[in-house]
Amino acid sequence: MADTELTQRGAWNKVIANLKKRSLWMLHYCTGCGAVELPPTMTSRFDMERFGIMPMVTPRQADILLITGYLSVKTLKRVILIYEQMVAPKYVVGFGSCTINGGMYWNSYSTIKSLDQYLPVELFLAGCMPRPEAIVTGFNALIDRIDRGEANSWEDYYKNYDFYHKNQLHAFGEIETHHDIKSDGRYFGIAEAQR
Amino acid sequence: MYTQALLFLPLIGFGLSALLLGTARRQQAILKTIALIGFLAIAAAAALAGPETGSLLQGPTLFGSPLTFGLTDLSWYFVLMVAGISLLTVFFSIGALRESGSYPMYYAWLFAKVFGMFGVVLARDLLSFFIMWEIMSWATYFVMQQGRQEARTAALGYLVYAIVAGMVLLGGVIMLRQSTGSFDFGAISAAIKGYSLGATIVALVLILVPMLIESAVYPVHGWLPDSYASTETSITAYLSSISTRIGVYGVVLFVFVIFGIKVIDSVGFSSHLNLRSILLVLAALTAVLPTYTALFQHDAKRLVTWHSIGQGGYMLLGLATASTLGTAGGLFHIFNHLTYVSLIVFSIAAVEYRTGTTNLNKLGGLIVKQPVAFLGMLFGIIGLAGIPPMNGFVSKWFIYRSLILGGYPFIALAAFIATVGTIMSVYKLIHNMFLGQLPERYDNVKEVGFWMQVPILILMAVVLVTGIFPGLILQWVARIQTIMGISPIAYTLTGVQSSAGDLNMAVVSAVFISCIVVAAVIFLIGGKRRIVSQYDNYAAGHFLSKDVPYNFNYHFYSAFEHIFDPLYQAAPVKTTERNLGRLVSITGDYIRRFFTGQINTYAAYYVAAIIVVLVILKGVL
Amino acid sequence: MNSGLGLIVWIIAYPFVSFFLGVLLGGYGRKFTARIQRRVGPSWIQPFYDVIKLMSKKTNVSHGYMHDVAMMMLVGGTLLTMYFVPVPGFHYFSQFGDYIVIMYVMLVAPLGMALGVGQTANPNGSIGIARALEMLAGYEVTFVLTFIGMAMKNGTTSMYDLMLAQQAGGMATWAIVTDPLLGIAALFALQGMMNEKPFEVIVAPHEIATGPMTEMGGKYLGMMFIQHLINLVVELTIYMNLFLGGALNWFEYVIKLFVLFTLVMSVNAVYGRFRTDSALRFYWKLPLPMAALGVIGIMIRGI
Repeated sequence: MADTELTQRGAWNKVIANLKKRSLWMLHYCTGCGAVELPPTMTSRFDMERFGIMPMVTPRQADILLITGYLSVKTLKRVILIYEQMVAPKYVVGFGSCTINGGMYWNSYSTIKSLDQYLPVELFLAGCMPRPEAIVTGFNALIDRIDRGEANSWEDYYKNYDFYHKNQLHAFGEIETHHDIKSDGRYFGIAEAQR
Repeated sequence: MYTQALLFLPLIGFGLSALLLGTARRQQAILKTIALIGFLAIAAAAALAGPETGSLLQGPTLFGSPLTFGLTDLSWYFVLMVAGISLLTVFFSIGALRESGSYPMYYAWLFAKVFGMFGVVLARDLLSFFIMWEIMSWATYFVMQQGRQEARTAALGYLVYAIVAGMVLLGGVIMLRQSTGSFDFGAISAAIKGYSLGATIVALVLILVPMLIESAVYPVHGWLPDSYASTETSITAYLSSISTRIGVYGVVLFVFVIFGIKVIDSVGFSSHLNLRSILLVLAALTAVLPTYTALFQHDAKRLVTWHSIGQGGYMLLGLATASTLGTAGGLFHIFNHLTYVSLIVFSIAAVEYRTGTTNLNKLGGLIVKQPVAFLGMLFGIIGLAGIPPMNGFVSKWFIYRSLILGGYPFIALAAFIATVGTIMSVYKLIHNMFLGQLPERYDNVKEVGFWMQVPILILMAVVLVTGIFPGLILQWVARIQTIMGISPIAYTLTGVQSSAGDLNMAVVSAVFISCIVVAAVIFLIGGKRRIVSQYDNYAAGHFLSKDVPYNFNYHFYSAFEHIFDPLYQAAPVKTTERNLGRLVSITGDYIRRFFTGQINTYAAYYVAAIIVVLVILKGVL
Repeated sequence: MNSGLGLIVWIIAYPFVSFFLGVLLGGYGRKFTARIQRRVGPSWIQPFYDVIKLMSKKTNVSHGYMHDVAMMMLVGGTLLTMYFVPVPGFHYFSQFGDYIVIMYVMLVAPLGMALGVGQTANPNGSIGIARALEMLAGYEVTFVLTFIGMAMKNGTTSMYDLMLAQQAGGMATWAIVTDPLLGIAALFALQGMMNEKPFEVIVAPHEIATGPMTEMGGKYLGMMFIQHLINLVVELTIYMNLFLGGALNWFEYVIKLFVLFTLVMSVNAVYGRFRTDSALRFYWKLPLPMAALGVIGIMIRGI
């Protein structure tokens, strides 16, 4: 998704992006069964840390939110809260087929079928579940996107909040997050998309 | 002439405030005006009395010698401190005491106590010293018992200790008078040089023990926490800051000036068990044990009053080394302690005024509601912990250096252990009161008014300025050291210059400010930031709301409690006090049985008494 | 570097040099731990990437003005300590403040952080700070006792003079050789001072969500990382100056830093985490009596 902003990216932004991409911290939050593939990726055999990717504990500290596998509506509420607590730029990685089209639980009443209706997703990793090699390839693809300056889906949340909010309300109703996304968007200067 | 004013102004103030008791109940403003004018005048007189050092005033003659009063450099140091903190306390009380007039004699007792304290430090002979000491003790009792019901009971505890101290002091006064034939300090000082070791020890014990009781040195500190913590909070500030230090004045006066500095080393059984080592050990115990007791308190005032005891230990540590740096540190610490402890307690009083409680388990998050009180407490705890650039650091530096270089490593370690305990407890204090989550019931708390903010702001300025420019106070300390017979400290405006190394607080503070500026620049280079509500917080995905407390206040130092709880329960001093109290009440119970209330028993006693007297007089069996 | 133009240039360059050394040390630490775990490990300058990433975050979250000021106090306090610790060729500020000043100034940074963490109103942070202050009573007391011993032995409290006293006779006069009890006790204390396992309880990620770092994100965490890296250098230098004879030139200084840090990281890699009261009991049972024996030895031998 190359747009005209890219070609206008200054040298400074390019340098920063090149440095930023080498340090990505994922939130150590295991939402579903796909999370079982993460320990092998972190440990000696596949060693995620050589790319600079490390697990971190709280949303404030993390850059990547991995939705590992199916997402029940009950968990979706928490995931939205956590996503909104994270500090931008942040990247949501849909991990496993369940986030793409419902996967094995396509017929369930309590899971969501398509993650990018509720959150702007940066990258999907297909598979049930993706092996560590696939995870490493996926993370490298994310790193390349960051380097090219294309990984800006987090802005989409502010720009199209009405869309996401409508879907969230439909899924689980109102939640109290103690902050207002629209006013945050205005404060940080991310313009709302013109309809 | 100002010295006389120092003695008469409080008396006049006391008289006026007491006489106008009736009008006071209807019109608090009259009393407040009298108090304000009176204490302003006292402060002015104290400031102007400086040049009168050395002159003597003769009072009425009692028991054959006139009562003499006079100002010395040591007295003037204390006079200034007393006058200053009294004025600030009155200022604060005008704001803090509500209009209901629950303490009609409040300002009158303050005047009386100031009269007593001035009398003690201005006394130039033993009899006037004793009379003023008793007046001061009783005035302290009356000042202290203003509060809720527990204040009255706790003040009685103080009174018991004060009476014991007074009687021991009387014993010392009589013994010195009998053996030297005079009350005058000079004559006694000359005569003591010729005493045998045994006589010196007895005289020293009789005179020193009351001073140690008054300074709340371990193990005679039991009266302080209960009585100071139960009284009205403005009074807590006043008492913690200067009242106990009159005991330190006594120690300096008697041990160094009257008995002479050689007595520190000569009185004792060997070079390792002399007065100096006993004082050092007692002071180290005083510094360490109460500080760790303060950790476990959940009442803010009690925490601070336990600290007052600990800081008194520091002063005694400095003085007991009898070296230039050490005594300078001890004397300077008296001033420093006064500034930051009153600052901390004033902040607690400000919080109590608006929230109605000092219970650390219930408060929290008041930093946004009461920023001035928070800043005051912040400066106070940085001073108390002894962190640069506040003044507490300078006096602690002196004391540490004198202990380390004087060859007392384990005493220096004890002083540092006390510092660690101090840092822990003051952080608990400021965290439980001002940081953490703001409970819903305090949503409407506002900042305190003008009368309460001004003393806090003034004390904050004093703590900072005397920290960066300690020379301002060290000039008086140097003069006192000359009286004590110790070579005065080579101070500069910003610190000390000595052969064993310098201290320059201005440089330290300048580097401090620049480093913070550099850090601020780095901080501001980062992106924009938004201030969010306290409920927008990490709770592992849980939704926070007003009705669920999400705070860590209880058992703040649970690991310490885990380790020290058995020792804390055993508390030897508390147990001894309790058992003594039980002994007294059992004895009293038996003695009570003599008074049967029946006339036959009393007639029998009368007859028995006559028989006994006849037997003794006539030798008849 | 102690006067004139050289001094001014060095004062401006010193934080950058320290930060660079800190980045190298931090990266080396992670690489070393990775190799012990038979992994490849991140890049040698990985902490630099981390700091850049954190400082370039766009929507930082703060809980109040004290939170902001606290981060400035945190880094400012560590920079302040850095300036007073002598390094080869630079000891200008040692004449204005000795080790007692350094000891107390080292408390400014944690105090600032504690106040900021308090305002974040997160109990995990408060628990972390309570643990950090409790641990002070373990390692700091031991370290101060060893310092008191050294100061008493040499009759000075200035770190620069203590350093010079050890350089007089080569390796034989290093404090760790002449007073091994003190040196080894101080090594235990160093492990606690640097918050490395087994004394890492203040950060306990799985238990209290990294303690003080819980609500820190973006540039706030970036400031904490910058402080952590510079603090590595400062604390290792303090130990080096007091017990390993300081360093005569930058080559020796860097070698000693890395050797000492390797020792610290080796222990960190193989140990779990002690509970706070277990750590305190350990400190009071082994290193503190060791240091006390060392001090008594000095008193008997020396003065």
